[in-house]
Amino acid sequence: MATREAGVIGALLLNPPLASIQGAIEFIFTPQTSNVTGGKTVGGIDQVIELTLSQLELTVFALALSLVVAMPIGLYLGHRGTGELFATVIGNAGRAIPELALIAFMAALIGVGVLNLTIALAVLGIPPLLTNAFVGIHQVDRAAVDAARGMGMTEFEILRKVEIPLAIPTLFAGIRSATIAIVATATIAPIAGVLTLGDFIINQNVYGDNGVLAGAILVALLALTLEFGLASLQRRLTSKGLKLKPA
Amino acid sequence: MANGVLLAATGEVGKGFIQERSSDTLPCQATDKLFCWEWASEHIDRYATPTLQHLELVAISVLIGFIVAFTLALLAHRHHWLQPPLLAGTGVLYTIPSVAFFFLLLPLTGRGEDTAIIALSAYTLQIIFRNTMVGFANVPKAVVDAARGMGQTDRQILWRVELPLATPEIFAGLQVATVSTVAIATLAAFAGGGGLGEPILKGGISFKTNLIIAGGIAFLIAVILGLVLFAVQRFLTPWQRARQA
Amino acid sequence: MPSEAVTEEGSNSGASAVRYEGATKRYGDSSVAAVDALTLEVPAGEICVLVGPSGCGKTTAMRMVNRMVEISEGDILIGGESVRNRDAARLRREVGYVIQQVGLFPHRTIAENIAAVPQLLGWKKERTEARTAELIELIGLDPELGERYPAQLSGGQQQRVGVARALAADPLVMLMDEPFGAIDPISRERLQNEFLRLQAEIGKTVLFVTHDIDEAIKMGDRIAVMREGGKVAQYATPAEILMDPADEFVEDFVGADRALKRLALMRVSDIDLWEAPLAYVGQPTAEVRAKLATPEVEVPYPLLVDSERRPLGWLSERDLRADVVPSRPDSPLGPLLDRDDIMRDALADLLQGEAQYAAVVDREGRIDGVLSVEIISEFLGSPEAKKEEHGAVERPHG
Repeated sequence: MATREAGVIGALLLNPPLASIQGAIEFIFTPQTSNVTGGKTVGGIDQVIELTLSQLELTVFALALSLVVAMPIGLYLGHRGTGELFATVIGNAGRAIPELALIAFMAALIGVGVLNLTIALAVLGIPPLLTNAFVGIHQVDRAAVDAARGMGMTEFEILRKVEIPLAIPTLFAGIRSATIAIVATATIAPIAGVLTLGDFIINQNVYGDNGVLAGAILVALLALTLEFGLASLQRRLTSKGLKLKPA
Repeated sequence: MANGVLLAATGEVGKGFIQERSSDTLPCQATDKLFCWEWASEHIDRYATPTLQHLELVAISVLIGFIVAFTLALLAHRHHWLQPPLLAGTGVLYTIPSVAFFFLLLPLTGRGEDTAIIALSAYTLQIIFRNTMVGFANVPKAVVDAARGMGQTDRQILWRVELPLATPEIFAGLQVATVSTVAIATLAAFAGGGGLGEPILKGGISFKTNLIIAGGIAFLIAVILGLVLFAVQRFLTPWQRARQA
Repeated sequence: MPSEAVTEEGSNSGASAVRYEGATKRYGDSSVAAVDALTLEVPAGEICVLVGPSGCGKTTAMRMVNRMVEISEGDILIGGESVRNRDAARLRREVGYVIQQVGLFPHRTIAENIAAVPQLLGWKKERTEARTAELIELIGLDPELGERYPAQLSGGQQQRVGVARALAADPLVMLMDEPFGAIDPISRERLQNEFLRLQAEIGKTVLFVTHDIDEAIKMGDRIAVMREGGKVAQYATPAEILMDPADEFVEDFVGADRALKRLALMRVSDIDLWEAPLAYVGQPTAEVRAKLATPEVEVPYPLLVDSERRPLGWLSERDLRADVVPSRPDSPLGPLLDRDDIMRDALADLLQGEAQYAAVVDREGRIDGVLSVEIISEFLGSPEAKKEEHGAVERPHG
């Protein structure tokens, strides 16, 4: 162990990380000649944009599919107050799914391509959405729901006008969780034939060390941007009344 | 060391993918069968090392993550101004996809187990930190007040009152962190860290039997650990059991 | 039809009778009913209090009216029309519903909360806004609170908003389930009085649930004392229940201090008050002393009043030594009672103030007479006290 540490420190001293970062930034913006696979051109802003869009596309499709499947079920169960065990188990099981195995297995099972991969990613996104939808709706103040029902709102109106607005924080926590999981797994989509930013990372042979670092930086930035965007959206959608401190 | 840790669908060669095969799996891998029982029973011992590696990765990562996050939470409990920045900081670490994290660390720590452990630990920080804070927040003020009125010092209150009452929430965080880490540790293979991801990467997506075994083991480990932790939590909090009774 | 009663802007006119006809509620296959063949009629514009021990089915019975609890057997009629025939959601929009925890929507402002049912009914914006403003004033809240959120209001204020919200669409029936239960006693009394004042103005049919017999006596025009199993032990006016309990259960439930409780049913104006000699500021004290000397004087102290006959305080011997009556009395006024005060509260004020005499004023604040504990006890023993008390419409307000 000690020698390895020494080796790392030695490598650091000889090759300060800054050089790699510089190289990574270069990689992002200007196409490089890859010295590994014999003179092919890799990198550059065009390829970066192409792969970023690819990853975004995959993420958005998968998230949309997850929402369409998970939300109705979660909202309905939460409103009725039944199926708590189901929602909990789904949530826990979803967390236990190994991402790599899922992608590979789904690709093997239903084939490669954006559409099929979308389904695989949706499997990851559904559990947090469903569980959080259930919990969020179920935990809304019972008195407010009772009052809403007593004043003559239909069940659907209660869900729409009272339960969902009050459950926004929890609902969004689920959406953010799902998005992070989907984006993270979309990063390794290249192993199933759909090229995303993860290709830079996975295919070190083609893109070189700079490409790998560039890929890592880009993926991190993408994830953080999405998270930040969702957080802002959540802030805007949360009613002022919920953010107040009691008088 | 760059290694051929990439695969392609049988017959398809994408840009720069390298195919790797080992000859003795050819019969099962070549077929399109979902699961070859014979192969599985013959070669099940292949998965012993990856499984142990996987468990090791998870155990160390969760342990480190817990120690760090718990310590930070105790600090933030005492000094409330620390909470927002720590929450944000751990949140960033949580958001960054692990694969990216592995390779961000690459220039610093190189390939191998250490990189994987650092990244996996970082991922657990937010979950454990936030759950610990929530656990503390859920301790009824009245109880703390009574303890203080009895003459207990802050430290005594922390260890005798607040922590026991916050245990369910903390354990819930530990459970989530552990289950998630088992799942994500399959990606450690990308960083050269071993684990159950390695047979998956080596075997290729066409080798379904392999996928099922490796993925299945990982899934089972996650579920079992989750249940075990849940049982431990119930054991540690008898007053909750009494309430249900 | 109910909607016709709501055509006028800001009208608070409509009220319908509520009739239970053998209404029964059974849960599951249980042979024991939560509410057992309940049959009673609540006349339009009256407050009927359902009171009884926990689990007697009073809340269930109330919630059957707007079908928050479905009726197993029998029926309930509002204004002669069965509630079972109607669409539940639409029915509830015409019935005001107030619950103990209020259940205000935390994500809506106070104004938006109050406007909830009008919006469900599709009222036009101007009409809704006008009605909301009217109600905020009616419940005694500052108009600017309309833009605040529930979290910013106190418990008592939230409770008032709950009542306003229930009144917004001018329902024909109001259901109130322990609405003042979660409030501190001081605020509770104030809210009770204010609601009674409100009721005197708008006269809704109200079904009021409480477990507190004192609240029932204070608020109810009629009381239904219920026992376990959802049966009515006695359905009568408060006076009848106090003076003539139907059986041992009712007697026990009302409590041993029935006589004292009866004071809750009377107003100060029901009694012949004593008169105190009045003294005006600047009046020659000789005149006052002369008044005191008369043998018929009932109160041996002169009461200082202003030119409008509003009491300012009591005069002492020392005050009368001067030539003219001073503008500042020696003794403070002490407890000041209103003609319309409930006798029980008046007695409490007297005892609290440790005063022998308390000045009683009318609505303009002018002296009406003097009350003392002696008067009250004399009255309680007299035959007049045993006569019928005032009817429902003339509820005292305090």
